Amino acid sequence: MTSSTRPSLDDPALTIPLEHAGIFEPIPLARTERQQEFYGLKDGEMLLNMGPQHPSTHGVLRVVLKINGEQVVDLDPVLGYLHRGVEKIAENSDFHHIISQLDPLEYVSSLFCEWSPVMSFEKLLDVQVPRRAEYIRVLTGELNRIASHMLFLGWYALDLGGITPILWSFAERDEIVEMLAAITGAKLLFNYFRIGGVNGDLNHEFMSRLGDWMSRAGAQLDAGMGLLNENEIFVRRARGLGVLDRETALRMCATGPNLRASGVPFDIRRAHPYSVYPELEFDIPTRREGDSLARYLLRMDEVRQSLRIIDQCLHQMPDGPVMARLPRLLRPRPGRAYSAVEGPRGQYSCYAMSDGTDQPFRLRIHDPSFLHLQLVGLLMPGNLIADTMAIMASLDPVMGGVDK
Amino acid sequence: MDRAFRALIERTFGDLLTGPVRQRHDETEMRIRPGDVPQVMRTLHDDPRLRFEYLSDLAGVDTGTVFQVVYHLFSVVTPDWLRVVADGIPRDQPRIPSITFLWKGAEWMEREAYDMFGLVFEGNRDMRRIYMPDDYVSFPLRKDFHLPDDASRSPGGGVRPMEDATTPADAAAATSRRTATAR
Amino acid sequence: MAAYWSRLSVGSRAFLVIVPALLVVGAVLTVAIALLLGPVLDFLGANMPLVRFVAAATAIIVMTIPIAFVIIFMELKVIAAMNLRVGPDRVGPYGTFMSVVHGLKVLAKEDFTPRGVDVPIFTLAPIVVFASIPLTLLVIPFAPGVFGQDFNIALLYFFAIGGMSVVGLMMAGWASFNKYSLLGALRAAAQAISYELPLTLSVVGIIILAGTMSLNSIVQQQAGSLFDWNIWKQPLGFLIFFIAATAEANRTPLDMTEADQELVAGFATEYSGMRFGFFFFAEYVNVFVVSALSVVLFFGGWNAPFDWPFPVTLSLDPGGLGLGLVFLIALAPVVGTIVLGLPFWLLSSRVSTLKALVIGFILFNLLVVGALLGWAFVSAAWVSGLAWMIGKTFVFVFIFVQMRGTLPRVRVDQLMSFAWKWLLPAALLNIFVTAIAVSILANR
Repeated sequence: MTSSTRPSLDDPALTIPLEHAGIFEPIPLARTERQQEFYGLKDGEMLLNMGPQHPSTHGVLRVVLKINGEQVVDLDPVLGYLHRGVEKIAENSDFHHIISQLDPLEYVSSLFCEWSPVMSFEKLLDVQVPRRAEYIRVLTGELNRIASHMLFLGWYALDLGGITPILWSFAERDEIVEMLAAITGAKLLFNYFRIGGVNGDLNHEFMSRLGDWMSRAGAQLDAGMGLLNENEIFVRRARGLGVLDRETALRMCATGPNLRASGVPFDIRRAHPYSVYPELEFDIPTRREGDSLARYLLRMDEVRQSLRIIDQCLHQMPDGPVMARLPRLLRPRPGRAYSAVEGPRGQYSCYAMSDGTDQPFRLRIHDPSFLHLQLVGLLMPGNLIADTMAIMASLDPVMGGVDK
Repeated sequence: MDRAFRALIERTFGDLLTGPVRQRHDETEMRIRPGDVPQVMRTLHDDPRLRFEYLSDLAGVDTGTVFQVVYHLFSVVTPDWLRVVADGIPRDQPRIPSITFLWKGAEWMEREAYDMFGLVFEGNRDMRRIYMPDDYVSFPLRKDFHLPDDASRSPGGGVRPMEDATTPADAAAATSRRTATAR
Repeated sequence: MAAYWSRLSVGSRAFLVIVPALLVVGAVLTVAIALLLGPVLDFLGANMPLVRFVAAATAIIVMTIPIAFVIIFMELKVIAAMNLRVGPDRVGPYGTFMSVVHGLKVLAKEDFTPRGVDVPIFTLAPIVVFASIPLTLLVIPFAPGVFGQDFNIALLYFFAIGGMSVVGLMMAGWASFNKYSLLGALRAAAQAISYELPLTLSVVGIIILAGTMSLNSIVQQQAGSLFDWNIWKQPLGFLIFFIAATAEANRTPLDMTEADQELVAGFATEYSGMRFGFFFFAEYVNVFVVSALSVVLFFGGWNAPFDWPFPVTLSLDPGGLGLGLVFLIALAPVVGTIVLGLPFWLLSSRVSTLKALVIGFILFNLLVVGALLGWAFVSAAWVSGLAWMIGKTFVFVFIFVQMRGTLPRVRVDQLMSFAWKWLLPAALLNIFVTAIAVSILANR
């Protein structure tokens, strides 16, 4: 190789004059009303950038904070660092293959990312899913819900400074993903649901791991949650933080645990039942306070309800095929279909349009984390910088879903 | 499939509908003109017989010839999903009133529709791009979006052959130009 | 000549260079010592306090390194155990060399000064933070006679010098030319100042009871048994002191300053390499120092919890054996090795003779060292005192480490309101109650 000419730091083209060296954030041209409101700094206010690389934002998220001392006055999230253009890719894929591309959207709860598109496609194609497949979908979905809530627990505690709960909850999560890996072959992006059913029946390893885990799950979860629920520091930090009242939650289109913690008992599994949920008995936990502690406790209640559902699925599961018979080349009639499922973060829905060919004409994925990030800007002002991460963690966003 | 609900919709909105109310599986679909969106949405939200308090989704669609904005709503009154299609937005003037006055959470969904399609929602306080960088010029989800044009203009562009601006003559075939058949 | 040199291996080249060099240096040293030893010793003898000071200063600075290494390793392993993990276990037996590797890594990193910083303050900040810690070690009595300096305002000196580290943190935050660092430094300063008051006020009760601020005297007054320790006389004082010390040492749950989930690395964001290492080195030694101070003030220092009948003198007189002593010294290792290696050689077929001898030799050495230590422990007061002191200090270090693994972080405004609204009044209450009690008991 030739002698490498490394750029010299004294090269005038590369140096920034010292007087400008302190200004690192390019303040954008404030074109919209909101931008003018945000980027107009009053006396004593400062813009602080919690950049895309940060130990604690839930993925690549950039948040511009306007702070006055230690207090946050306003907040502007900047998205798009993980945008992969999934909706455009879908227009060039066919109905079977796009399912595996939709897993990495909310990678933590990837079975739900598959579930609602699969339901939309089944509506377009008028496909009847076998009952055993529906039960398997519910069973694995609820396992995924528990795994996702365990991750929420760990992350939430970590953002508040406790480094132990995340490892305990990941031990739980480890067991669950090992179970799911026995039938799906993967630990995070499962790629298990297919149009018309699921890819493969339950096997012996899955059942033995599941039985083993279910016998211990209740006690282990109690121990893990006890570490935080009774901890004075944790409770004092979470109580009264980021209170979301009922009206605001509805106006901001919040769904899932964030909505239910504000007193609205809206759960798609009961409000607009799908799959075999009408045959299963479970409660919808709801809390009134709407603060971070309520959101945390609500998700833990949901874990218990999921355990109930799993138990019932195991007892009620019918025999039969796990996949409907479908042609390899799927050409649905031109039409539109919409279906929504209740994911661990909220309503996860898919709007599919077909134009008669074997490729979707439009695939629109709506995920809840996108809307919940708007809530952060609403709940933050008046709180301290340290609480930014606490509030964001209590809303449980996953940037893969936010950025699609 | 709630027949009574279909009748209710047809009674309430009458001549604001630009097409018949269609129902399939558990969805009810109504089509309106883009200019009527605020009025229709307010009626759906406030009317005590309808009470559509939940906005589930706001999507833009490019049918190849015109744009559409598709809203999905839910109410405790009916078990169906309600789909409101604001049809016939012209490509050269893609403007539609915003519904952020009713649901503030629609702000980001409208920003996304603007980013991906170029649909300008009048009344949205924050009409700027959300996913793509601020200096991006094209609208990716349009059917006539041509990746090489855009990628070559970006700072890191033109590196891979697919992003090469000087594309051969059959580049037009590589883009997806599809048109939805009627329905 | 060059041909021979080029055919040698690296090891032999090193040997051929180092051994003659060592011989030359040895010869020069021998001559120098022979000529100068007399005058040097006279000089030192005349200036004993200076010698003592230099020795103490060197000792405490050198002492901080293994202490920090041990605490870092403890933190890694203990928190791992609480997290259902293993912690480091590859580097050295059971991962014990991990701290050394961390130190080397920190030294090997690129150490740059970012553009725009205030260079003199930026460079001095870690030094100021670090310098204050060994200076506080100077007054802590580790054993009877084993302390740096003792003067009658030792406790006041301790708090004064300990507060100097805050100046260093502010310097670091300001000079870094970075908003994160500035915020971190402001928080650090606010926290340190808020907790200085309860910290110093909580030990006023001890000072009233002891009548002096000299740490040596305070420890001596706790001699006796477990029930003579100050913890029984000042429980509230200890509680306040411990909480305030956690804040001063910037440990979880009161470690807002280094909350890396919020502000990347706080005041130390712009530091890399050894400068960064200095900050955290200082923090770990600070943990040891406040633990040591807690033990000295409240838990009896180097006093054993029960009466220890020492010194014990052995009734043996080695000199009386005469020539037999030489035989004893020559034969004991051989006999000990064989005797201790014999069971292994006899009872296991996988152990060869050589291996058995090696095991026996190691065991014999351990036995001899153990016996010597035991004899020193019972016969020399400073050995047993040192052992008790270090043991008790590490109990408190363990408590600090355990708190870090278990508790989440207290928010900065809750932290400050706790200091001003709860700890400060409690400390004042403690002083009043102690003063009243002392005056009542004195008047009786």
